[in-house]
Amino acid sequence: MSSLDGVVNELRWSAVRSSALSYLLHAVLAAAAWILAVVIAARFFPLEHAPRFEAIGVPIAFVAVAVAWIAVRPGSMKLMRTADVRLGLKERLSTAWERRGQDGPMDAVLRQDALEKAARTRLAAAYPVGLRPGEVWLTLAVAVAAVGLVLLPNPMDQLLAQRRDDRAAQAQAAETVAAAQKKIAAASPAAQVDPQIQKILQDARARIASAPDPRAALQNITPAEQKLLQLSDPQTPARASTAQNLANNLSATNGGRAASQALNASPSQGARAIRDLASHLQNLSPQDRAQLAQALATAAQQAKDPEMAASLQQASSALASGDVSAAATSMDALAGQLDSLQQQESNDQQIAAAINGLEAARQQLASQADRDAAGAGASAGAGGSGSAGSGAGGSGNGTGNGTGSGNGSGTGNGGGGSGGTGGQGSSGSGAGQGTGAQSTERVYVPAAPIPGQSENDPAPLAPGQDVPLTPYDQVIQAYEQVALDAADQSLIPGSERDLVRSYFSSLGEQGGGR
Amino acid sequence: MIAEEPRLDPGRVTELAQSLETELARLIVGQKALVRDTVITLIAGGHMLLEGVPGLGKTVLVRSLGQALKLTFARIQFTPDLMPADIVGTNIIREERGRREFQYQAGPLFANLVLADEVNRATPKTQSALLEAMQERTVTVGTETRALPVPFLVLATQNPIELEGTYPLPEAQLDRFFFKSLVPFPSEEELLEIARRTTGRATPQLKAVADDKAILAAQEVAREVPIAEHVLAYAGKLIMATHPQRTELETVRRYVRFGASPRGLQALVLAGKVRALLEGRYNVAFDDLVAVAHPALRHRVFLRFEAEADDVTADQLIDEVVEKTDKAKAAG
Repeated sequence: MSSLDGVVNELRWSAVRSSALSYLLHAVLAAAAWILAVVIAARFFPLEHAPRFEAIGVPIAFVAVAVAWIAVRPGSMKLMRTADVRLGLKERLSTAWERRGQDGPMDAVLRQDALEKAARTRLAAAYPVGLRPGEVWLTLAVAVAAVGLVLLPNPMDQLLAQRRDDRAAQAQAAETVAAAQKKIAAASPAAQVDPQIQKILQDARARIASAPDPRAALQNITPAEQKLLQLSDPQTPARASTAQNLANNLSATNGGRAASQALNASPSQGARAIRDLASHLQNLSPQDRAQLAQALATAAQQAKDPEMAASLQQASSALASGDVSAAATSMDALAGQLDSLQQQESNDQQIAAAINGLEAARQQLASQADRDAAGAGASAGAGGSGSAGSGAGGSGNGTGNGTGSGNGSGTGNGGGGSGGTGGQGSSGSGAGQGTGAQSTERVYVPAAPIPGQSENDPAPLAPGQDVPLTPYDQVIQAYEQVALDAADQSLIPGSERDLVRSYFSSLGEQGGGR
Repeated sequence: MIAEEPRLDPGRVTELAQSLETELARLIVGQKALVRDTVITLIAGGHMLLEGVPGLGKTVLVRSLGQALKLTFARIQFTPDLMPADIVGTNIIREERGRREFQYQAGPLFANLVLADEVNRATPKTQSALLEAMQERTVTVGTETRALPVPFLVLATQNPIELEGTYPLPEAQLDRFFFKSLVPFPSEEELLEIARRTTGRATPQLKAVADDKAILAAQEVAREVPIAEHVLAYAGKLIMATHPQRTELETVRRYVRFGASPRGLQALVLAGKVRALLEGRYNVAFDDLVAVAHPALRHRVFLRFEAEADDVTADQLIDEVVEKTDKAKAAG
C-alpha cells in the first residue's frame, strides 16, 4: 500500500466516522417524523393498527438511511478533493491521487510534496465529527411532538373500540346462528333436516359476519326470518286445532279414550292409536260405535282443516250407517293426515329453532347497535331519542330505523306486533317502518310447565333437544294473569300496575285483530 | 518505468522567479502584482499588454527586467508615422567592391525584450507587423523569413485616457497578448519611496539573476506542471461562463458581446502552472486559476455598449464569473 493509499484510507475512516453520526441523526429524524405523521394521521382517520405502522416505519427509516449512507459514501477522488479544500492543501492530494499511476517529470516531486503536506496536517480534520445544531433541534422537536401526541388521548380510540365491539358482536351473532344450525341438525334425524332452513341460516350467518356494522347486519335478519316463515305450512295450526278438538271429543268416548290420550301426547302417537282403533271397530259395541260416531261428527264440525274435516265426517257417517269398513278406511286417512301433521310440526319446530337463533343474534346486534348509537349521541353531547316503529296490522316483523343518529330495531310479534326500541341519538328522530307479515305467522314461546312440575325446575333437556314450544295465543292469557297478580302483590306504584295492564290490553287488542 | 527527469529542478524555477522579483523590487516601488504578472508572462513565454497612464514606471519595469535577466532590450516608441519596416527591419542597398546589393538591416524587434511603447498610437499596419512577430516569433521581409531571438517577450503599453489619434487594438490582436495588466497609481507611501529612490545621487543598479538559457529551461519546466482534471474542468467552466450564450449569469448575458477565446483557456492554465511554481507547488490549484483570471481574461472579454453605459468593467464581470462558478460543481 502506497502512502497515498494510506492517506485515502485515513480519510475514508474519517468520513465514515463523521457521516455515521450524521446519518444516524438523519435516521432518528426520519423515524420520529414517520411516527409523528402516523400519530397525526391516527387523530384524523381511524387507523386500526397505528402502533404497528409506527413500529414498521422505524426500521424502514433506519434501513433507508443506511442504504443512502452506503450509496452516497464518497469515492477516493472525492475524499482527496474534499481534504484539499477543507485542509487548504491546494489540490495537492487530488492531483497526486489522479496521477498516482503516472511517472511524468514532476509526478515524483508532486507526490512527495503532497505527502509531506498531508503528514503535517491532521487528516481527520477534513471530516469533523459533529452534528448540525439545526438538525439536532429539529429532531428533538419532532421526537417530543411525536411522544406528546402518543401520550395524549386520541379521539379516534373510542371509534376504534366501537368498531372492535361491532366486529365482536357480529362474530358472536354469527356464532349464535351457527349454534342454531348445529342444534337443528343435532335435534333431528339427518333425513328430516330441511336443507332450505340450513341454507337460509348459512346465508344469514355469512351476511351478518360480513356486514360493515351491526345496523347493516340487523337488516339481514328479518328477510331470513321471512324466508323461514315461508317454509312453514299455513294449515298446520288448523290441523293441530282439529287434532286437539278430536282428542277432546274422543276423551268422552269409551272406544276413543286411548286414542285421545295418544293424540294429546303427539300427532304420530295419535295416528297409531287411530289406526289401532280403526282396526278394532268391529269389536266395539254398537253403543260405543254410536258414541264414537258422535264424537267424530262433533270433531268434524269443529275442524278447521277441510281435509281432516272431510275424513272425520266420512268416518262418522260410515260408523253411523254401520259401514265399519268404510269408517276404518276414513280413519286410516285421518291417521295419515295426523302423520303429516307430525311432520309439519317437526318442520315448524326447526323453523322456530332457526328463528330463535336469529332472534338471539338480533338481540346481540341490536344491543351493540344501541350502544353505538348511545356512544354517538354521547359524543355529540346532546341527547335525543329515536323511536323505532312498530309493526302495523296483523302480525309482522318490523324493523325500525331512526334517522339522524338514532336507530332502533324491533320485531313485531304474533297478534300484536311491537316495535323495537329506538336507539339513543343526538336530536334523532326515529321513523319506524314495520312490515306486516302474513296473517298465518305464528310466534312460539317456551312451552307451559308440565302440570305437577315446578316452573323453576324444568325437565332437563337431552343433548341437542330444543326447548318445547307452545303457540303464543295459548299462553298469553296465563302470562297476563301471572303478570297482573305479580303487579297486584308487589309494592309498586299504581301507575306502574296500569302500565302492565295496558300493555296486556294492547296485546289482546292486537291479538283480536288476527 | 523510469521517471523522466525535468531539465531544470522545479525548485530552481521558484528560486529564479523569487530572485527576479526581489531584484526588480529594488527599483520598482510597489507594483507587486504587476511584477508578478510580468514574471509569469516571461516564464510562460507570452507577451504582455500594460495599460496605465504615463509615468507609472512601465518603461522602467521593462528596462529593469532586461538588466536583471541579462537579455537584449529594445524600446520602440509607436507613433502614427511608424512604419512596419521601422520595427521589423528592411533591405538596404549597399555597395561593396563596386557591386550593389541588398542587405537586410534588422529592426528593433530583434531583441529578447521589446518595449512597444504606446502601441495603440501606431497605424494598424504597423501594429499587425508587430503582432505577427509576436505570434509567429519570426519576421518576414521580402522573401526571407527570419527567426526572432529566444526568449522573445513583447511588453506593449497603452494609455487608457488619451484616445484621440490612436488606433485601438482590434480583438483578434488583443487576443495574442498572454496577459493584460493594469498599472495602478502608486499609494502615497509608494510615491514617497519612489521619490527617495530616484532623486538621490545614486540609482540602484540591478544585477543579472538569470540568462536566456535559464529562462528557456524555466519555460519548459512550467509546461510540465500537472493539472488535475477537475481543476482543468474548472478552468473550462470559467471560460464558458464568460460567453453570453452559454452562461447562466445574467450580467454576462447582458453586458458581454464575446467571451474569452480558447487562447484564453490556454493562457489561464499556463499562467496557473507558472504561478503554482512561483508558489512552490508542483500542481495547479484553483487558487492559481483565480489569481491569474483577471490578467488572462480581461482583454478577452469584449463588452457591449451597455456595459460602458452602466460603468461595468471586464474585471467586475470576471469577479462575478469566478464567484458564481462553483469549484466542486465544475469539477463534477
